[in-house]
Amino acid sequence: MPHAPDHSTHPFAQIPELLAARAGTIRNWLAEPITKRLGMQVLIIVVGAGIYGATLGLWRSPLQALYVAIKFPLILLLTATFNAGLNGMLAQLLGLKVRFLDSFRLIVMSFATAALILAGFSPLTLFALHNAPPLDDPSAATREVYSAILLMHVVAIAFAGVMANVKLFQSLRSLAGDRGRAQFILLAWLGGNLLLGGQFVWNLRPFIGAPFLPVQFLRPTAFEGNFFEGVYHAIHRLLTS
Amino acid sequence: MNDTNQPPQLPSPHAPPPTPAPLGEETGDNDAIKRPTDAVESMLRHPRRLIHQLSQTGGGSLILMIAMLGVACAIVYGLVIGSFSGGTQWWAAPVKLAGGLLVAGLICLPSLYIFACLSGSSARLIEVAGLVFGLILLMTLLLMGFAPVAWVFSQSTSSVVGMGVLHLGFGLVALFFGMRFLRQGFAWLNTPFSSGIGVWMVIFTLVVVQMTTALRPIIGTADTFLPTEKKFFLVHWVEQMSGDSNYARSTER
Repeated sequence: MPHAPDHSTHPFAQIPELLAARAGTIRNWLAEPITKRLGMQVLIIVVGAGIYGATLGLWRSPLQALYVAIKFPLILLLTATFNAGLNGMLAQLLGLKVRFLDSFRLIVMSFATAALILAGFSPLTLFALHNAPPLDDPSAATREVYSAILLMHVVAIAFAGVMANVKLFQSLRSLAGDRGRAQFILLAWLGGNLLLGGQFVWNLRPFIGAPFLPVQFLRPTAFEGNFFEGVYHAIHRLLTS
Repeated sequence: MNDTNQPPQLPSPHAPPPTPAPLGEETGDNDAIKRPTDAVESMLRHPRRLIHQLSQTGGGSLILMIAMLGVACAIVYGLVIGSFSGGTQWWAAPVKLAGGLLVAGLICLPSLYIFACLSGSSARLIEVAGLVFGLILLMTLLLMGFAPVAWVFSQSTSSVVGMGVLHLGFGLVALFFGMRFLRQGFAWLNTPFSSGIGVWMVIFTLVVVQMTTALRPIIGTADTFLPTEKKFFLVHWVEQMSGDSNYARSTER
């Protein structure tokens, strides 16, 4: 008897499933060999976050758009990879009964969800940039316009991050069978990912790019200081100015 | 004792609304939409049929038909807008209105699909695209209905701001009915109305109103087809309303 084609493995068929994150689907995906979907999910991160990253840098220049299209997915992939061991251990310690590598797969799924949401927003951010004055025009690009564009990106990225974590929490709750445990695991993963992700953001700056500084892939001071020092100095300047 | 004079039971005000019958199970749902007149009639009288037909074979050509109808209706209303200033606006206003609405739909389609999926919808991209272009078709059909009223006003006033307010009012009414269609469509596609879809409606409204500023002038006249200065729609509107002296010197309205 001929077998019906398995539509669930079609590269694009998993996009709505990934966004819906139904408990049964995630469970089935974790039961499959890692090679079956991981490649597609990494591709979603590269393309989705890359497209959004390009709209981040495009206000400064097309070259900056290209740089950020490379750097933005890189932050997600580096964070997931460098924290894979830690997240796997935390999951085991906090009582999530999945294989070690499944923690990595769950985080990649959540990053792919965020990348998809950001890709969906990118035509809107592009339209907003089209309606904003050029960044290198000091007479038109006022502080208010810069703040509005920055705020738009913060809201879009925050929304994608929150939604991706809501979906990750749904999966964790189903896998852990206990709301409290799922919350604890999510918080532990978030803590580690924010710590490392924040530092990668610092190292790989600039993203929007200041108009008075040259377009560069990395700043010469990329590996000087860290994200949290930067935040501390910014708050200190704000309070003492 | 049997009380045979019991009054009929009124439905409880807290009773849940009746669940719509699945698509394809109501009379007329399965009638194929072959001609543009069928599509217009379905949109106005039987939108369920349109949504159901989108998920059938040939859904892609139906979307194309809906989009082309939307463009045609927008061109008709655009001609009425263009009649206010005449000259190049006879062709520029229809082109900008039709093009602007199509681009707004295309810009917002990916985010609507994402929001629908996040709500747990099983609607396919083609169905969501059908809803977006259906929304645009319904908007432009309604605008075409308003066209005679708009034309009468455009022949009686020389105020660009007055005509702008009138067209904006008609546009918002059309948008309201378009959004109602979208909401109904998602209900028929078994997608619960979520705050995400509500946020999308706000985003679409903002994109459409910003498009009126990005493509200005649509009502008045200017030396260039598109504006040379980029502005947020609220800034543009406030400048127009207050008759800003610097702005009034410019011919670009």
